[in-house]
Amino acid sequence: MADEIRVAIASDQDIVLARQRGRTLAFELGFSSSDSTLVATAISELARNILTYARTGEIALKAIQSTNRQGIMVVASDEGPGIADVRQAVKDGFSTSGSLGLGLPGVRRLMDEFMIESELGHGTRVTVRKWKQ
Amino acid sequence: MKTAHKAQILPELALEDRYFSVLEEHLQGASESTLRRAYDLGRKALSDGRSLLEMATLHHIALVRILARPDSSSAEPKTLEAAYQFFAECISPYEMTHRGFNEAIAALRHLNEALEQEIRRIASAVHDEAGQLLVALHLALADISRDVTEPVRERLRGLNPIFAQIEDQLRRLSHELRPTILDDLGWIPAIRFLADGVSRRYSIPIRVETSVEDRLPSITETALYRIVQEALTNATKHAKASSITIRFSQRDNGLICSIRDDGVGFDVRSIRAPGSESGLGLVGIQERLNALGGTLQILSAPGQGTELLIRLPMETQNANSSSTSGQPYVGMPKPEVPSRAGRNAGGRRSQRRPTGDRAD
Repeated sequence: MADEIRVAIASDQDIVLARQRGRTLAFELGFSSSDSTLVATAISELARNILTYARTGEIALKAIQSTNRQGIMVVASDEGPGIADVRQAVKDGFSTSGSLGLGLPGVRRLMDEFMIESELGHGTRVTVRKWKQ
Repeated sequence: MKTAHKAQILPELALEDRYFSVLEEHLQGASESTLRRAYDLGRKALSDGRSLLEMATLHHIALVRILARPDSSSAEPKTLEAAYQFFAECISPYEMTHRGFNEAIAALRHLNEALEQEIRRIASAVHDEAGQLLVALHLALADISRDVTEPVRERLRGLNPIFAQIEDQLRRLSHELRPTILDDLGWIPAIRFLADGVSRRYSIPIRVETSVEDRLPSITETALYRIVQEALTNATKHAKASSITIRFSQRDNGLICSIRDDGVGFDVRSIRAPGSESGLGLVGIQERLNALGGTLQILSAPGQGTELLIRLPMETQNANSSSTSGQPYVGMPKPEVPSRAGRNAGGRRSQRRPTGDRAD
């Protein structure tokens, strides 16, 4: 269970698979049903971003452990065009979906931790963590 | 769908029908694939402006339709569980939006508090620092006047009234920025003081009428003061009013504040237009009210003057009021946590009815 699960993202079907893996992992870790749904939601948004901006990429999932709690880590990475201004990208209103609070800003609010690294021309990596309540 | 002919794609089913068919498929065999479609339906509904309540209704109608069929497996717990999961998936995009809204409100409140602190700082800078420099200048001139001839000395003395005027203006400015009167005597005396100052500066009559004298929570008093300040700026600078009336009253469970001028007025729709800068002051008023659960109504038309009608729910304002007008407020800082008015009703609150939970 501590191993990393990797799902290549290149089509809509891959999003379904990534969601399923995420949901199963969350369930195994004892996440509540609504928190498992939120994990699946975050995976959807991250995978959708990969398809939209980079066309292909990868979602990696991992069970994580801190001193007194368990959680799930999702890493969405691609080798797409990258984001010129990552600070802008996590603000509402950066993109059409962002103006509704969806997209990256939405993911940031659903998860406990959010980190984004991007380099123009080299791709983007978004790392999020959610801890079991 | 009604826009299908425009988009030159195959006509799409209405959201209701698509929801029904995907839910039906999901209840026949729940899978991640149908859940993902539920999510996408919700995401689309959100960007199409469908409300959350609409989605709940839509889900309910679809579920009832499916369960009412003779061949249906009826409302078994397993079916209901699957239906719940489908619906939760569908509304999870709304959860993102909801969290964003909460964050924005908290940020707004923060911003107002930060702004208030900054104003306090400027007010004391104007009063204390500029005031001290003025005293230094005064002393330096007095020093010089000893070394000059009588006619020059006389001319220097002629500066004294100007000094007095600057001092007076500085004091007034700093008081208006953040009047100590607001903390010491409360919002009504502070607003009267403000109105008096503006009235003198622009030579127009400003009446303040009130049937409410109670102290309110500090956050509410500051907001009311700032709102009146903004409204007076609008009325004097933009509306070119020749008289202004400010009225406070209590109705039902709320405080009503009306600020009316006889100025040039404007087309209310024009300031709601995107990119309109003329409405920025009003946006500021609206945002202060949002943070307190209040509402703003703007009544105006070209040539008809302007009235700002503000309603504030009472829940935010009970506080331990001293209720005696003109008396300095003494005691502990007022609690910011709203509690029911009825709970700490003292003896002198007869004209105030206990509040219900109505949120305006």
